[in-house]
Amino acid sequence: MNRKRRNWTPYLLLLPSIIYLALFFAWPMARALSLAFWKEDARLSLRTDASFTSPTAGSLPQAATVAILDTQGNRIAAGTETSAITEVWYRMSAADAEGAAVEGWVLGDRVRVDEESDGVPTLGRIRAVRRSGADPQTSVYVEPGSTRGEVAARLDAQTEVNILESATLEVWYQISGVDENGQTLEGWAQSAYITRGEQDPSSGFIQRGDSAEWTLDFIRTMLSDRFFTSALLTTLLITLITIPIQFVVALIMALVIQARLKGNLLFLYIFSIPLGVSELAVGIVFFLIFTERGYLNSFLQGLGLIDHTITFISADTRPWIIIAVVLAEVWRATSIVMVILVSGLQAVPTELLEAAELFGAGFQQRIRHVILPLLKPSIQVALILRTILAFQVFAVVMAISGGDIVTTLARETFRWYSDEIRNPNMAAAYAGLIMLISIITAIFYLRAVRTQQELAA
Amino acid sequence: MTVEAKSVPVPVIVASEEMQAVRRRALRRQRLNRGMIYVVAIALAIWIILPIYLIGSMALSSPAGVRTYPKAIFPFTDISFDTMSFFLQSEGILPGVINSIVVALITLVLSTLIAAPAGYAISRYIFPGRDFYRLAILGVRAFPVIVLAVPLAVLFIRLGLFDQVHSVALMHTALTLPTTVLVIGSVFASIPYELEEAAMVHGATPLQAFRRVIVPLVLPGIAASAIFTFVMSWNEVFAASILTLENRTLPAQVLNALNKSSPEFQFAGGFFMLIPSLIFIFFIRRYLFNMWGQVTK
Repeated sequence: MNRKRRNWTPYLLLLPSIIYLALFFAWPMARALSLAFWKEDARLSLRTDASFTSPTAGSLPQAATVAILDTQGNRIAAGTETSAITEVWYRMSAADAEGAAVEGWVLGDRVRVDEESDGVPTLGRIRAVRRSGADPQTSVYVEPGSTRGEVAARLDAQTEVNILESATLEVWYQISGVDENGQTLEGWAQSAYITRGEQDPSSGFIQRGDSAEWTLDFIRTMLSDRFFTSALLTTLLITLITIPIQFVVALIMALVIQARLKGNLLFLYIFSIPLGVSELAVGIVFFLIFTERGYLNSFLQGLGLIDHTITFISADTRPWIIIAVVLAEVWRATSIVMVILVSGLQAVPTELLEAAELFGAGFQQRIRHVILPLLKPSIQVALILRTILAFQVFAVVMAISGGDIVTTLARETFRWYSDEIRNPNMAAAYAGLIMLISIITAIFYLRAVRTQQELAA
Repeated sequence: MTVEAKSVPVPVIVASEEMQAVRRRALRRQRLNRGMIYVVAIALAIWIILPIYLIGSMALSSPAGVRTYPKAIFPFTDISFDTMSFFLQSEGILPGVINSIVVALITLVLSTLIAAPAGYAISRYIFPGRDFYRLAILGVRAFPVIVLAVPLAVLFIRLGLFDQVHSVALMHTALTLPTTVLVIGSVFASIPYELEEAAMVHGATPLQAFRRVIVPLVLPGIAASAIFTFVMSWNEVFAASILTLENRTLPAQVLNALNKSSPEFQFAGGFFMLIPSLIFIFFIRRYLFNMWGQVTK
């Protein structure tokens, strides 16, 4: 091998993999970090007038409470492009509950269009209000654009309306609020950025901003999250218990394989089965063992050790859940350590072991003074791989306890990006923490082994 | 000592008797040791097999059997496929199986196609940056892949690729690629370059030499690596759950249904997800060390 002369071919051969990893590995990794620190809607800038061309009067942070002083709708001609968020208003005529004819403007959201001709709405119905506590009737205004303007009439839900005209409007609120420095700012902002109070429409809060900034908000939220401490400690605890057990069991397995018993290949196959078993399946298996009507209780009761079943998985039995998770992890991930150690052991010359035996080294001495030192590179690789993987323990925890009683960092990453909450920033903050402790651990292992070598030299 | 023993006839017999006793004792001790190793080996094998046996016996008993308590230590008394078929007929499971297979196949093909040239390059050429590339690949493999899922989900939403089987496969390829590169590299490295040279001496062009001599030799190894890629993708649950909503893969579907499902569903699901790995690991067991031996060098 390695005889071909130097040319461009190897680089061409590597290129696809480099491009792929840059696209789907390096880029998302960098993006994850930026998601955790970069808040896209951090601030809302206020303008002196209700228009994008007017100068900014300052900016307020997201979530700030504001008083809504006035509203204005700027009518824009049909077909013009605007970067503003728009509302559609309809001029309509209808008969109110008393049968009186009514004409005026309603907010487009309040009308369900039933009929259109050439794409222009002609007939519709007033929508029902589903929110509790909200006004059951819909106001008809004299002028479009403002839900604070003069009210021409009030219509019940399901009233049929003839749509006479539609208008597209940029809606602006004049708001005043206090920024971080305690200064009161007043200015105009687009309505879509502000959520109005349900009870009191004259106040509201800034739902999202229009400009981004670097922030530690997500990190702060993570640190004060009610699951944070528990998730971090549990992850570290599981790792701390699992790794040593795995290494001892894996070393024993590797030595058994190395002893070349009859049926060696069969043992090798059996020992490596967990290598391909899904994390989730392992979790389910250990749930089956530890669940109240599961095998462990059956077994203990069968032996007559207990009278009635023990509840292993409940909010009051966190230690048992952690034991189950550790056992599942040991079962699942010992194989990979075993395979790495066997590969390492195969590189240990048998003469060396025979020589050690000849000089009277016992089994323990052979392990301590010959096998372990020679296995050091393999152990280092296996340690780094296993520890980083242990920091990501997820499906096992979900399957055994549902992921609430005992939670891990990976589970929290998932919680923040599950179907109910889609918060990529918080998920990225948790993922970033996993990355951070992984890097620290890897450096620690590399350093630890190197200093030992330096000491030896 | 031995010289002395040879020179005097009588002690020779004594010595040899003693030697025989020593040898016998050593042999007995060795047998005892081997016996001990067998005991340990069998105990470890039971530790590995027992959980699989337990879930298998649950999955292959009737739904009523699943709910009985205490559970029999020797199950398989009433073999029934009702539980399994109940699981397979549950909502979203069959599409999930199909999605999982499609994702795993795309991942396998992409990963192997991209990794094969890279594996060939790092095992056959010396070039500046080769060690750096290997180190970087190792680093990528050791990295927490969980970090990737969320930003990719955000990107896929923006590109309109979210909740699609292809996007999961793209992510899985990124996860499996480093391993595949290293494994295929070690497969190529195990074929002596002399074979290629010999073919060329006998008049083959480099391409012919590669196709006629090298390809047949590396094919089993590459197939093994492809199978392992398939298993890794089949098992992956975190990224698949984050990247999909409707078109879930099997593990994502099971995970999603976990809290709301019956024990029958869970145990049958666990067993079903386990089956491919039992089969595939059997086929590739000889190559496992190829795969991981490379890592430590």
